[in-house]
Amino acid sequence: MTAGDVVERIRKNVGVPWRDATYRDTFKAGGPATPVTGIATTAFASFDVVRRAVAEGLNMIVPHEVTFWNDRDDAAIVSSDPLYTQKLDFLTRNNVVIFRMHDHMHDQRPDFLYVGSARELGLDAKYETAPGSHRFTIQETTLGRLAAEVKKRVGARALRVVGNPNARVSRIQLGVGYATPSVNDAAIDVVISGEQQEVDGGFDNPEYVLDAVELGIPKGWIMLGHAVSEEAGMLEMAQWIGRFVTEVPVRLIKAGEPFWAPR
Amino acid sequence: MTRVSRREFVRLGAAGAVAAPLVLDPTRARAAAPTAQDVVDRIRKSLGVEWRADTVDTFKAGDPSAVVTGIATTSLATIDVMRRAVKAGANMIVTSGPTFYSRADRPTPPAGRGRGAAAPPAPDPVFDAKNQFIRENNLVVWRFSDHWRLRTPNPFTTGLIDTLGWTRNRATDDPLRVIVPSMTLESLVDNVNGKLNARGGMRVVGNRQLRVRTIGFVPGSVAIQTTLSVLPRVDALIAGEIREWESSEYARDMVSEGLPRALILLGRTLSEDPGMKVCAEWLATVVPDVRCRWMPVGDPYWRPA
Repeated sequence: MTAGDVVERIRKNVGVPWRDATYRDTFKAGGPATPVTGIATTAFASFDVVRRAVAEGLNMIVPHEVTFWNDRDDAAIVSSDPLYTQKLDFLTRNNVVIFRMHDHMHDQRPDFLYVGSARELGLDAKYETAPGSHRFTIQETTLGRLAAEVKKRVGARALRVVGNPNARVSRIQLGVGYATPSVNDAAIDVVISGEQQEVDGGFDNPEYVLDAVELGIPKGWIMLGHAVSEEAGMLEMAQWIGRFVTEVPVRLIKAGEPFWAPR
Repeated sequence: MTRVSRREFVRLGAAGAVAAPLVLDPTRARAAAPTAQDVVDRIRKSLGVEWRADTVDTFKAGDPSAVVTGIATTSLATIDVMRRAVKAGANMIVTSGPTFYSRADRPTPPAGRGRGAAAPPAPDPVFDAKNQFIRENNLVVWRFSDHWRLRTPNPFTTGLIDTLGWTRNRATDDPLRVIVPSMTLESLVDNVNGKLNARGGMRVVGNRQLRVRTIGFVPGSVAIQTTLSVLPRVDALIAGEIREWESSEYARDMVSEGLPRALILLGRTLSEDPGMKVCAEWLATVVPDVRCRWMPVGDPYWRPA
């Protein structure tokens, strides 16, 4: 089977109209004619993920995020860097095909990124206020205890928190990746998500929470990191692809958290 | 998740004009204390940077005609900073970051997601309290971000280098780079962490045992283009914030391919704190008739054990 066959089956099964104008969900290496020996899903098609996939005999990679360090995987931005050439050469030499699944994963219902992150965080469906709301009411705890529990569950070394550790919280709004909800909604205490621009965005949660702390209003903001936040759901993606691509192995190869933090 | 609204909001490497020599109007200096608008006028005249039409450097709250009793500079105009300013007798805040939690910096909350742009925003106790505090204390808030970072050399960078104790280690050919006695990445990170009093915001991509001598700096927000141009030329790059689908993935690939490089992220606010200390010192020369103080914000983040 070819990469084109795999993409065709993805399109047929995704359950939402295909966005023909997408620049994200396209081939980043190889093309539809490349024969596929196995499929690896991942958060980022990092050089390390590519090497591990090749070593495991999987020559098709389906990342949620980028391959060449910018959202459009625009070669013009990166092509003067020798590492770009090195990565591209490695992909070509090993007959690797990369097809990104981003926009359509977020369109799909359920959005596996939320399913995976909630699973990893232990936010079971019974806690969700309404299906698909990504809003969970848990037993009241402190922000400090919640953050410690989250860190233990997702294993993120460089997880970051803003808020008073003693604030009493129970209502969590889950975001994924860069899609970080605003924490000023009166119906939520804590936002857990992947990443957010700290300052100068559409709504700067960090500054808002700092002010809420000063006023004694219980608010919290827990950032897992983009890769940690969205990688869990790539397991669901692998399982989903495995349902209609049965000819080759399909599995998750984790890019993992890129960061460490000082003690 | 859409990313259509993303903007490049930092342009590093843009050539700023050479700072004009300070010329203070003596009649003005002897006259009554300046208004907030006077302070801004003097800044514009003395900065040596051409003023842009499209800028966030505008008044965000208060009355520009208010007489200034003191100036507090900061990287983020939080309520905590405002309280400290009032306690110190300052009624003008000069901030490199927003006041009202967004680039738009409007004193009312944005319409909530899914509520539609036409719907009035829900009442918000944090916005209300901040506006009330500003009103009750007659504060004037002015943002100083776009133009302050255009000064040459970039004061956010020199301030950060000074705070880290490397003023004398600046490279002769580039004031924005330092050369330090060889140390491991791990000890560099511990050193920076301690000097900046970082609580939990610092994050690192790189091999802990990497030997570091040459260090580059890009405080603030950093686009991939900047990282691509700086990181290959240094052992370690100390940056404010990046996008995690850009610079940290690039650094990850460098490290996994054995290139001797590291990326150290401080967070935007912590990375800009020292530059606003420089701003207070500079303002004291531009507005000598008013007391200027720096109000550091510190590291907003913590990490569970």
